[in-house]
Amino acid sequence: MAARRFTLVQALHVVLAVGWADFVLKYRGSVLGYCWSLIGPLVKFLVILYVFGPYVQPSIPLYPLYLFLGIIVWEHFTVTTNGCMTMLFEKEGIVQRHPFPHFLLILAVGWTNIIIFSTHLAVFAVFGWFFGVSLVWSVLYLPFIMLQMTLAALGVGMLLASYCLKYRDISHLWGIAVQILFWLTPIMYPYRAQSAVTASLIAFFRQPGIHSIQNLLSLFIHFQPIAIIINDVRRVTLYPAAAGTPTALHVAGLTLICAGMFLAGKWIFDRRCPYFTQEY
Amino acid sequence: MGSPAVDCRNIVKTFLQRKVPMRLLQDRILRWKIHSDRIRIEALRGVSLAARNGEWVGLFGANGSGKTTLMKIIAGIMRQDAGEVSTDGRLSCFFELGVGFHLERRADENIYLHGLLQGMCRTDIRRVTDIIIDVAGVRSHENLPLKCYSTGMRLRLAFAAASQIDADIFLFDEILAVGDTDFQKKCWWYLHALKRAGKTGVIVSHNMDDLERICDRIETMDRGVLNTGRAPSALP
Repeated sequence: MAARRFTLVQALHVVLAVGWADFVLKYRGSVLGYCWSLIGPLVKFLVILYVFGPYVQPSIPLYPLYLFLGIIVWEHFTVTTNGCMTMLFEKEGIVQRHPFPHFLLILAVGWTNIIIFSTHLAVFAVFGWFFGVSLVWSVLYLPFIMLQMTLAALGVGMLLASYCLKYRDISHLWGIAVQILFWLTPIMYPYRAQSAVTASLIAFFRQPGIHSIQNLLSLFIHFQPIAIIINDVRRVTLYPAAAGTPTALHVAGLTLICAGMFLAGKWIFDRRCPYFTQEY
Repeated sequence: MGSPAVDCRNIVKTFLQRKVPMRLLQDRILRWKIHSDRIRIEALRGVSLAARNGEWVGLFGANGSGKTTLMKIIAGIMRQDAGEVSTDGRLSCFFELGVGFHLERRADENIYLHGLLQGMCRTDIRRVTDIIIDVAGVRSHENLPLKCYSTGMRLRLAFAAASQIDADIFLFDEILAVGDTDFQKKCWWYLHALKRAGKTGVIVSHNMDDLERICDRIETMDRGVLNTGRAPSALP
Protein backbone atom coordinates (compact mmCIF):
# COMPACT_ATOMS: atom_id res chain seq x y z
CA MET A 1 0.00 0.00 0.00
CA ALA A 2 1.36 3.41 -0.98
CA ALA A 3 -0.51 5.46 1.64
CA ARG A 4 1.43 8.29 3.24
CA ARG A 5 3.16 7.05 6.38
CA PHE A 6 2.35 8.83 9.64
CA THR A 7 4.88 9.04 12.43
CA LEU A 8 3.68 8.29 15.95
CA VAL A 9 3.70 12.02 16.80
CA GLN A 10 1.75 12.92 13.64
CA ALA A 11 -0.75 10.14 14.36
CA LEU A 12 -1.19 11.43 17.90
CA HIS A 13 -1.78 14.97 16.62
CA VAL A 14 -4.39 13.67 14.16
CA VAL A 15 -6.23 11.69 16.86
CA LEU A 16 -6.22 14.56 19.36
CA ALA A 17 -7.17 17.22 16.78
CA VAL A 18 -9.90 15.21 15.04
CA GLY A 19 -11.33 13.99 18.36
CA TRP A 20 -11.39 17.49 19.86
CA ALA A 21 -12.76 19.04 16.66
CA ASP A 22 -15.57 16.45 16.61
CA PHE A 23 -16.36 17.19 20.27
CA VAL A 24 -16.53 20.95 19.59
CA LEU A 25 -18.45 20.47 16.36
CA LYS A 26 -21.02 18.22 18.01
CA TYR A 27 -22.47 21.14 19.97
CA ARG A 28 -21.61 24.10 17.72
CA GLY A 29 -24.60 26.09 16.57
CA SER A 30 -26.86 24.42 19.12
CA VAL A 31 -28.58 26.62 21.72
CA LEU A 32 -28.27 24.03 24.49
CA GLY A 33 -24.77 23.10 23.32
CA TYR A 34 -22.96 20.63 25.55
CA CYS A 35 -26.07 20.15 27.70
CA TRP A 36 -27.42 17.79 25.05
CA SER A 37 -24.80 15.18 25.92
CA LEU A 38 -25.86 15.38 29.56
CA ILE A 39 -29.60 15.45 29.04
CA GLY A 40 -29.77 11.86 27.72
CA PRO A 41 -28.12 10.13 30.70
CA LEU A 42 -29.75 12.58 33.12
CA VAL A 43 -33.28 11.81 31.89
CA LYS A 44 -32.58 8.07 31.99
CA PHE A 45 -31.21 8.51 35.52
CA LEU A 46 -34.26 10.43 36.75
CA VAL A 47 -36.76 8.00 35.22
CA ILE A 48 -35.05 4.92 36.66
CA LEU A 49 -34.52 6.60 40.02
CA TYR A 50 -38.17 7.49 40.44
CA VAL A 51 -39.71 4.38 38.84
CA PHE A 52 -37.41 1.60 40.04
CA GLY A 53 -35.54 3.39 42.83
CA PRO A 54 -38.07 2.70 45.61
CA TYR A 55 -37.67 -1.08 45.04
CA VAL A 56 -33.87 -1.15 44.94
CA GLN A 57 -32.81 1.87 46.99
CA PRO A 58 -33.08 0.27 50.48
CA SER A 59 -30.47 -2.40 49.65
CA ILE A 60 -27.91 -0.04 48.05
CA PRO A 61 -26.27 2.81 49.98
CA LEU A 62 -25.97 6.10 48.06
CA TYR A 63 -28.28 4.66 45.39
CA PRO A 64 -28.67 7.89 43.30
CA LEU A 65 -24.88 8.09 42.91
CA TYR A 66 -24.65 4.32 42.32
CA LEU A 67 -27.21 4.63 39.53
CA PHE A 68 -25.80 7.80 37.94
CA LEU A 69 -22.29 6.33 37.82
CA GLY A 70 -23.57 3.12 36.23
CA ILE A 71 -25.51 5.09 33.63
CA ILE A 72 -22.63 7.37 32.58
CA VAL A 73 -20.22 4.43 32.20
CA TRP A 74 -22.86 2.56 30.20
CA GLU A 75 -23.49 5.65 28.04
CA HIS A 76 -19.77 5.88 27.34
CA PHE A 77 -19.77 2.27 26.14
CA THR A 78 -22.84 2.62 23.89
CA VAL A 79 -21.95 6.05 22.48
CA THR A 80 -18.40 4.89 21.69
CA THR A 81 -19.52 1.69 19.95
CA ASN A 82 -22.15 3.60 17.94
CA GLY A 83 -19.62 6.35 17.19
CA CYS A 84 -17.26 3.82 15.61
CA MET A 85 -20.03 2.82 13.20
CA THR A 86 -21.30 6.30 12.36
CA MET A 87 -17.72 7.51 11.87
CA LEU A 88 -17.53 5.52 8.62
CA PHE A 89 -20.57 7.38 7.28
CA GLU A 90 -19.75 10.84 8.66
CA LYS A 91 -16.19 10.70 7.33
CA GLU A 92 -17.01 9.00 4.05
CA GLY A 93 -14.88 11.47 2.09
CA ILE A 94 -11.78 10.54 4.06
CA VAL A 95 -12.43 6.80 4.05
CA GLN A 96 -13.24 6.62 0.33
CA ARG A 97 -10.86 9.13 -1.17
CA HIS A 98 -7.90 9.59 1.09
CA PRO A 99 -5.05 7.14 1.76
CA PHE A 100 -5.15 7.38 5.49
CA PRO A 101 -4.90 4.89 8.38
CA HIS A 102 -8.59 4.61 9.22
CA PHE A 103 -7.70 3.18 12.59
CA LEU A 104 -6.77 6.73 13.67
CA LEU A 105 -10.37 7.80 13.10
CA ILE A 106 -11.49 5.06 15.50
CA LEU A 107 -9.04 6.33 18.11
CA ALA A 108 -10.42 9.85 17.54
CA VAL A 109 -13.91 8.52 18.35
CA GLY A 110 -12.48 7.09 21.58
CA TRP A 111 -10.84 10.44 22.44
CA THR A 112 -14.06 12.41 21.79
CA ASN A 113 -15.98 10.12 24.11
CA ILE A 114 -13.30 10.20 26.80
CA ILE A 115 -13.70 14.01 26.83
CA ILE A 116 -17.48 13.67 27.15
CA PHE A 117 -17.15 10.99 29.84
CA SER A 118 -14.74 13.22 31.79
CA THR A 119 -17.33 16.00 31.84
CA HIS A 120 -19.97 13.50 33.03
CA LEU A 121 -17.56 12.43 35.74
CA ALA A 122 -17.19 16.07 36.80
CA VAL A 123 -21.00 16.29 37.13
CA PHE A 124 -20.88 13.09 39.19
CA ALA A 125 -18.24 14.70 41.44
CA VAL A 126 -20.60 17.63 42.06
CA PHE A 127 -23.41 15.18 42.92
CA GLY A 128 -20.98 13.32 45.20
CA TRP A 129 -20.06 16.52 47.02
CA PHE A 130 -23.76 17.28 47.42
CA PHE A 131 -24.34 13.82 48.97
CA GLY A 132 -21.33 14.23 51.26
CA VAL A 133 -19.05 11.68 49.60
CA SER A 134 -15.44 12.55 50.25
CA LEU A 135 -12.63 11.86 47.81
CA VAL A 136 -10.10 9.21 48.86
CA TRP A 137 -6.84 8.10 47.25
CA SER A 138 -8.58 5.17 45.53
CA VAL A 139 -9.90 7.57 42.83
CA LEU A 140 -6.39 7.35 41.41
CA TYR A 141 -7.59 4.05 39.94
CA LEU A 142 -9.99 5.97 37.68
CA PRO A 143 -7.55 6.56 34.78
CA PHE A 144 -6.89 2.79 34.59
CA ILE A 145 -10.60 2.06 34.61
CA MET A 146 -11.21 4.70 31.93
CA LEU A 147 -8.50 3.05 29.84
CA GLN A 148 -10.13 -0.35 30.32
CA MET A 149 -13.61 0.88 29.37
CA THR A 150 -12.31 2.72 26.31
CA LEU A 151 -10.30 -0.29 25.11
CA ALA A 152 -13.31 -2.57 25.54
CA ALA A 153 -15.70 -0.12 23.83
CA LEU A 154 -13.33 0.52 20.91
CA GLY A 155 -12.74 -3.23 20.50
CA VAL A 156 -16.47 -3.90 20.18
CA GLY A 157 -16.87 -0.70 18.11
CA MET A 158 -14.21 -1.78 15.59
CA LEU A 159 -15.82 -5.21 15.23
CA LEU A 160 -19.17 -3.54 14.47
CA ALA A 161 -17.61 -0.91 12.20
CA SER A 162 -15.86 -3.64 10.21
CA TYR A 163 -19.17 -4.99 8.98
CA CYS A 164 -21.59 -2.06 9.26
CA LEU A 165 -20.92 -0.92 5.68
CA LYS A 166 -21.36 -4.40 4.25
CA TYR A 167 -24.50 -5.09 6.27
CA ARG A 168 -26.45 -1.88 6.87
CA ASP A 169 -28.71 -3.45 9.50
CA ILE A 170 -25.82 -4.07 11.91
CA SER A 171 -26.50 -0.71 13.59
CA HIS A 172 -30.18 -1.64 14.11
CA LEU A 173 -29.26 -5.07 15.47
CA TRP A 174 -26.71 -3.47 17.78
CA GLY A 175 -29.41 -1.08 19.00
CA ILE A 176 -31.48 -4.09 20.09
CA ALA A 177 -28.45 -5.83 21.58
CA VAL A 178 -27.66 -2.70 23.60
CA GLN A 179 -31.20 -2.69 25.02
CA ILE A 180 -30.80 -6.31 26.12
CA LEU A 181 -27.30 -5.71 27.47
CA PHE A 182 -28.55 -2.74 29.48
CA TRP A 183 -30.78 -5.03 31.52
CA LEU A 184 -28.07 -7.70 31.72
CA THR A 185 -25.65 -5.25 33.31
CA PRO A 186 -25.93 -4.29 37.00
CA ILE A 187 -26.63 -0.61 36.36
CA MET A 188 -29.81 -0.14 38.35
CA TYR A 189 -29.72 -3.30 40.47
CA PRO A 190 -27.00 -4.53 42.84
CA TYR A 191 -23.86 -6.30 41.72
CA ARG A 192 -23.69 -9.32 43.98
CA ALA A 193 -20.15 -10.64 43.59
CA GLN A 194 -18.77 -9.86 47.04
CA SER A 195 -15.37 -11.54 46.91
CA ALA A 196 -12.64 -11.25 44.29
CA VAL A 197 -13.82 -11.84 40.72
CA THR A 198 -11.74 -14.98 40.12
CA ALA A 199 -12.78 -16.51 43.46
CA SER A 200 -16.42 -15.73 42.68
CA LEU A 201 -16.04 -17.31 39.28
CA ILE A 202 -14.58 -20.53 40.74
CA ALA A 203 -17.31 -20.65 43.37
CA PHE A 204 -19.89 -20.11 40.67
CA PHE A 205 -18.74 -23.14 38.65
CA ARG A 206 -18.71 -25.36 41.75
CA GLN A 207 -22.34 -24.77 42.57
CA PRO A 208 -24.92 -27.39 41.55
CA GLY A 209 -27.25 -26.78 38.60
CA ILE A 210 -24.72 -24.58 36.85
CA HIS A 211 -26.17 -25.13 33.39
CA SER A 212 -29.62 -23.71 34.06
CA ILE A 213 -30.47 -20.61 31.99
CA GLN A 214 -30.88 -18.54 35.12
CA ASN A 215 -27.38 -19.46 36.28
CA LEU A 216 -25.86 -18.77 32.89
CA LEU A 217 -27.53 -15.37 32.81
CA SER A 218 -26.25 -14.68 36.29
CA LEU A 219 -22.76 -15.71 35.14
CA PHE A 220 -22.98 -13.27 32.23
CA ILE A 221 -24.38 -10.45 34.36
CA HIS A 222 -21.60 -10.63 36.91
CA PHE A 223 -18.57 -11.53 34.87
CA GLN A 224 -18.94 -9.63 31.61
CA PRO A 225 -16.23 -6.94 31.36
CA ILE A 226 -18.59 -3.93 31.37
CA ALA A 227 -20.28 -5.14 34.57
CA ILE A 228 -16.91 -5.61 36.26
CA ILE A 229 -15.74 -2.18 35.06
CA ILE A 230 -18.90 -0.48 36.37
CA ASN A 231 -18.49 -2.29 39.68
CA ASP A 232 -14.84 -1.20 39.90
CA VAL A 233 -15.73 2.46 39.27
CA ARG A 234 -18.25 2.28 42.08
CA ARG A 235 -15.79 0.55 44.40
CA VAL A 236 -13.11 3.23 43.99
CA THR A 237 -15.43 6.23 44.16
CA LEU A 238 -18.38 5.31 46.39
CA TYR A 239 -17.46 2.33 48.56
CA PRO A 240 -13.68 2.14 48.92
CA ALA A 241 -13.92 1.18 52.60
CA ALA A 242 -16.80 -1.29 52.37
CA ALA A 243 -16.05 -3.03 49.05
CA GLY A 244 -12.27 -2.57 49.00
CA THR A 245 -10.22 -1.21 46.13
CA PRO A 246 -9.32 -3.50 43.22
CA THR A 247 -6.04 -5.34 43.65
CA ALA A 248 -3.15 -4.76 41.23
CA LEU A 249 -3.69 -8.29 39.89
CA HIS A 250 -7.37 -7.55 39.28
CA VAL A 251 -6.57 -4.29 37.43
CA ALA A 252 -3.83 -5.97 35.35
CA GLY A 253 -6.06 -8.96 34.51
CA LEU A 254 -9.01 -6.81 33.47
CA THR A 255 -6.75 -4.49 31.45
CA LEU A 256 -5.40 -7.55 29.63
CA ILE A 257 -8.93 -8.74 28.83
CA CYS A 258 -9.92 -5.27 27.56
CA ALA A 259 -6.68 -5.00 25.56
CA GLY A 260 -7.48 -8.42 24.09
CA MET A 261 -10.92 -7.15 23.03
CA PHE A 262 -9.28 -4.08 21.50
CA LEU A 263 -6.63 -6.06 19.60
CA ALA A 264 -9.18 -8.56 18.32
CA GLY A 265 -11.34 -5.67 17.08
CA LYS A 266 -8.35 -3.97 15.48
CA TRP A 267 -7.26 -7.19 13.75
CA ILE A 268 -10.70 -7.61 12.16
CA PHE A 269 -10.96 -3.89 11.34
CA ASP A 270 -7.54 -3.85 9.63
CA ARG A 271 -8.48 -6.89 7.53
CA ARG A 272 -11.76 -5.29 6.45
CA CYS A 273 -10.40 -1.76 5.78
CA PRO A 274 -9.34 -2.35 2.14
CA TYR A 275 -12.93 -3.33 1.27
CA PHE A 276 -14.64 -0.26 2.78
CA THR A 277 -14.31 1.85 -0.35
CA GLN A 278 -16.19 -0.82 -2.37
CA GLU A 279 -18.98 -1.12 0.17
CA TYR A 280 -20.34 2.44 0.16
CA MET B 1 13.67 12.10 -16.28
CA GLY B 2 15.01 9.12 -14.34
CA SER B 3 13.79 6.05 -12.48
CA PRO B 4 10.03 5.48 -12.20
CA ALA B 5 8.39 7.44 -9.41
CA VAL B 6 5.24 5.40 -9.94
CA ASP B 7 5.50 1.86 -11.24
CA CYS B 8 2.48 -0.41 -11.70
CA ARG B 9 3.01 -3.86 -13.18
CA ASN B 10 0.22 -6.15 -14.39
CA ILE B 11 -2.42 -4.80 -12.05
CA VAL B 12 -5.53 -6.93 -11.97
CA LYS B 13 -8.66 -5.94 -10.11
CA THR B 14 -11.90 -7.83 -10.31
CA PHE B 15 -15.11 -7.00 -8.51
CA LEU B 16 -17.51 -9.83 -7.73
CA GLN B 17 -20.87 -8.14 -7.42
CA ARG B 18 -24.17 -9.73 -6.55
CA LYS B 19 -26.84 -9.29 -9.21
CA VAL B 20 -29.31 -8.38 -6.48
CA PRO B 21 -27.26 -6.34 -4.01
CA MET B 22 -27.14 -7.74 -0.47
CA ARG B 23 -26.99 -4.89 2.01
CA LEU B 24 -28.50 -6.54 5.08
CA LEU B 25 -27.31 -9.27 7.41
CA GLN B 26 -30.87 -10.61 7.52
CA ASP B 27 -30.71 -11.09 3.72
CA ARG B 28 -27.57 -13.15 4.11
CA ILE B 29 -29.25 -15.39 6.68
CA LEU B 30 -32.84 -15.53 5.45
CA ARG B 31 -32.79 -14.75 1.72
CA TRP B 32 -29.35 -15.85 0.61
CA LYS B 33 -30.69 -17.76 -2.41
CA ILE B 34 -32.11 -14.61 -4.01
CA HIS B 35 -28.74 -12.94 -3.64
CA SER B 36 -26.53 -15.86 -4.63
CA ASP B 37 -26.03 -14.93 -8.33
CA ARG B 38 -22.92 -12.85 -8.90
CA ILE B 39 -21.45 -11.00 -11.80
CA ARG B 40 -17.77 -10.60 -12.40
CA ILE B 41 -16.52 -7.13 -13.34
CA GLU B 42 -12.95 -7.02 -14.54
CA ALA B 43 -12.06 -3.43 -13.68
CA LEU B 44 -8.36 -3.75 -14.48
CA ARG B 45 -6.93 -6.44 -16.70
CA GLY B 46 -3.17 -6.56 -16.35
CA VAL B 47 -2.53 -2.82 -16.42
CA SER B 48 1.07 -1.62 -16.38
CA LEU B 49 1.82 2.06 -16.00
CA ALA B 50 5.01 3.87 -15.13
CA ALA B 51 5.65 7.55 -14.55
CA ARG B 52 9.27 8.60 -14.34
CA ASN B 53 10.51 11.20 -11.90
CA GLY B 54 9.30 14.58 -13.08
CA GLU B 55 6.99 13.11 -15.72
CA TRP B 56 3.30 14.01 -15.94
CA VAL B 57 1.03 11.25 -17.22
CA GLY B 58 -2.60 11.73 -18.17
CA LEU B 59 -5.25 9.03 -18.02
CA PHE B 60 -8.13 9.48 -20.41
CA GLY B 61 -11.12 7.20 -20.90
CA ALA B 62 -14.85 6.75 -20.67
CA ASN B 63 -16.73 6.20 -17.42
CA GLY B 64 -16.15 2.70 -16.10
CA SER B 65 -12.90 2.22 -17.97
CA GLY B 66 -10.96 1.70 -14.71
CA LYS B 67 -9.13 5.03 -14.35
CA THR B 68 -10.23 5.80 -10.81
CA THR B 69 -9.75 2.18 -9.70
CA LEU B 70 -6.16 2.34 -10.95
CA MET B 71 -5.60 5.67 -9.18
CA LYS B 72 -7.06 4.31 -5.92
CA ILE B 73 -4.76 1.29 -6.14
CA ILE B 74 -1.73 3.55 -6.72
CA ALA B 75 -2.82 5.70 -3.76
CA GLY B 76 -3.25 2.64 -1.54
CA ILE B 77 -6.95 3.21 -0.93
CA MET B 78 -7.87 -0.04 -2.69
CA ARG B 79 -5.96 -3.32 -2.85
CA GLN B 80 -5.26 -5.04 -6.17
CA ASP B 81 -5.94 -8.76 -6.74
CA ALA B 82 -2.65 -9.27 -8.58
CA GLY B 83 0.30 -7.23 -9.77
CA GLU B 84 2.67 -4.86 -8.06
CA VAL B 85 2.62 -1.15 -7.31
CA SER B 86 5.64 0.78 -6.15
CA THR B 87 6.09 4.48 -5.56
CA ASP B 88 9.34 6.32 -4.95
CA GLY B 89 8.67 9.45 -2.93
CA ARG B 90 5.99 11.07 -0.80
CA LEU B 91 2.59 10.74 -2.39
CA SER B 92 -0.35 13.10 -2.24
CA CYS B 93 -3.62 12.32 -3.91
CA PHE B 94 -6.69 14.39 -4.63
CA PHE B 95 -9.79 12.40 -5.48
CA GLU B 96 -11.85 15.19 -4.02
CA LEU B 97 -10.94 18.70 -3.01
CA GLY B 98 -11.25 19.63 0.64
CA VAL B 99 -10.96 16.20 2.27
CA GLY B 100 -11.95 16.59 5.91
CA PHE B 101 -13.58 19.99 5.34
CA HIS B 102 -16.73 20.55 7.37
CA LEU B 103 -19.36 23.19 6.68
CA GLU B 104 -19.64 24.16 10.35
CA ARG B 105 -15.93 24.88 10.72
CA ARG B 106 -14.08 28.11 9.91
CA ALA B 107 -11.44 28.32 7.17
CA ASP B 108 -8.46 28.09 9.54
CA GLU B 109 -9.96 25.08 11.36
CA ASN B 110 -10.60 23.29 8.08
CA ILE B 111 -7.11 24.10 6.81
CA TYR B 112 -5.62 22.74 10.05
CA LEU B 113 -7.46 19.41 9.90
CA HIS B 114 -6.89 19.09 6.15
CA GLY B 115 -3.17 19.62 6.66
CA LEU B 116 -3.00 17.06 9.48
CA LEU B 117 -4.80 14.46 7.38
CA GLN B 118 -2.34 15.14 4.56
CA GLY B 119 0.53 14.41 6.95
CA MET B 120 1.72 18.00 7.49
CA CYS B 121 3.13 19.03 10.87
CA ARG B 122 1.44 21.73 12.97
CA THR B 123 4.18 24.30 12.44
CA ASP B 124 3.95 23.97 8.66
CA ILE B 125 0.17 24.23 8.75
CA ARG B 126 0.30 27.43 10.82
CA ARG B 127 2.89 28.84 8.41
CA VAL B 128 0.72 28.29 5.33
CA THR B 129 -2.72 29.09 6.77
CA ASP B 130 -2.62 32.80 5.91
CA ILE B 131 -1.16 32.07 2.48
CA ILE B 132 -4.02 29.65 1.73
CA ILE B 133 -6.67 32.14 2.87
CA ASP B 134 -5.14 34.90 0.72
CA VAL B 135 -4.63 32.69 -2.35
CA ALA B 136 -8.24 31.50 -2.11
CA GLY B 137 -9.42 35.10 -1.68
CA VAL B 138 -11.63 34.34 1.31
CA ARG B 139 -10.08 36.78 3.81
CA SER B 140 -13.40 38.59 4.18
CA HIS B 141 -15.05 35.36 5.40
CA GLU B 142 -12.25 33.93 7.51
CA ASN B 143 -14.20 34.11 10.77
CA LEU B 144 -17.32 32.52 9.34
CA PRO B 145 -18.10 28.82 9.06
CA LEU B 146 -17.75 27.27 5.61
CA LYS B 147 -21.53 27.07 5.23
CA CYS B 148 -21.50 30.86 4.77
CA TYR B 149 -19.19 30.59 1.73
CA SER B 150 -20.34 30.39 -1.86
CA THR B 151 -19.60 27.16 -3.76
CA GLY B 152 -16.84 28.91 -5.67
CA MET B 153 -15.23 30.16 -2.47
CA ARG B 154 -15.26 26.67 -0.97
CA LEU B 155 -13.66 25.21 -4.08
CA ARG B 156 -11.02 27.91 -4.13
CA LEU B 157 -10.21 27.35 -0.48
CA ALA B 158 -9.99 23.60 -1.02
CA PHE B 159 -7.71 23.96 -4.04
CA ALA B 160 -5.55 26.52 -2.26
CA ALA B 161 -5.21 24.12 0.70
CA ALA B 162 -4.31 21.28 -1.66
CA SER B 163 -1.70 23.43 -3.37
CA GLN B 164 0.31 23.78 -0.14
CA ILE B 165 0.81 20.05 0.32
CA ASP B 166 4.42 19.13 -0.10
CA ALA B 167 4.94 15.80 -1.87
CA ASP B 168 6.96 14.22 -4.67
CA ILE B 169 4.14 12.49 -6.50
CA PHE B 170 0.70 13.99 -7.08
CA LEU B 171 -2.42 12.10 -8.15
CA PHE B 172 -5.33 14.22 -9.40
CA ASP B 173 -8.66 12.60 -10.22
CA GLU B 174 -11.07 14.90 -12.09
CA ILE B 175 -10.36 17.96 -9.97
CA LEU B 176 -8.69 20.20 -12.54
CA ALA B 177 -9.59 23.81 -13.14
CA VAL B 178 -12.19 24.65 -10.54
CA GLY B 179 -13.84 28.01 -9.90
CA ASP B 180 -14.01 31.07 -12.14
CA THR B 181 -11.62 32.05 -14.94
CA ASP B 182 -9.22 33.96 -12.71
CA PHE B 183 -8.95 31.13 -10.26
CA GLN B 184 -8.55 28.58 -13.06
CA LYS B 185 -5.51 30.57 -14.19
CA LYS B 186 -4.08 30.26 -10.68
CA CYS B 187 -4.74 26.51 -10.75
CA TRP B 188 -2.93 26.06 -14.02
CA TRP B 189 -0.07 28.22 -12.81
CA TYR B 190 0.16 26.00 -9.70
CA LEU B 191 0.16 22.76 -11.72
CA HIS B 192 2.85 24.06 -14.07
CA ALA B 193 4.86 25.24 -11.05
CA LEU B 194 4.72 21.72 -9.65
CA LYS B 195 5.89 20.36 -12.97
CA ARG B 196 8.72 22.86 -13.18
CA ALA B 197 9.76 21.90 -9.65
CA GLY B 198 10.31 18.35 -10.89
CA LYS B 199 7.32 16.78 -9.17
CA THR B 200 5.66 13.74 -10.73
CA GLY B 201 1.97 13.77 -11.60
CA VAL B 202 -0.71 11.35 -12.72
CA ILE B 203 -3.93 13.07 -13.80
CA VAL B 204 -7.30 11.61 -14.65
CA SER B 205 -9.67 13.72 -16.71
CA HIS B 206 -12.50 13.47 -19.20
CA ASN B 207 -11.21 16.60 -20.84
CA MET B 208 -8.47 15.88 -23.37
CA ASP B 209 -7.64 19.60 -23.70
CA ASP B 210 -6.81 19.80 -20.00
CA LEU B 211 -4.56 16.75 -20.22
CA GLU B 212 -2.80 18.01 -23.34
CA ARG B 213 -2.06 21.26 -21.56
CA ILE B 214 0.08 19.72 -18.82
CA CYS B 215 0.89 16.07 -19.55
CA ASP B 216 4.02 14.70 -21.20
CA ARG B 217 2.20 11.52 -22.11
CA ILE B 218 -1.45 10.54 -22.23
CA GLU B 219 -2.66 6.98 -21.78
CA THR B 220 -6.15 5.99 -22.80
CA MET B 221 -8.06 3.35 -20.88
CA ASP B 222 -10.83 1.19 -22.24
CA ARG B 223 -12.65 -1.49 -20.26
CA GLY B 224 -9.78 -2.16 -17.89
CA VAL B 225 -7.04 -2.16 -20.49
CA LEU B 226 -4.41 0.54 -20.94
CA ASN B 227 -3.48 1.54 -24.48
CA THR B 228 0.14 2.41 -25.07
CA GLY B 229 1.01 5.98 -24.27
CA ARG B 230 1.29 8.64 -26.90
CA ALA B 231 2.56 12.18 -26.77
CA PRO B 232 -0.36 14.64 -26.57
CA SER B 233 0.27 15.94 -30.10
CA ALA B 234 -0.02 12.42 -31.58
CA LEU B 235 -3.50 11.85 -30.22
CA PRO B 236 -6.45 12.19 -32.62
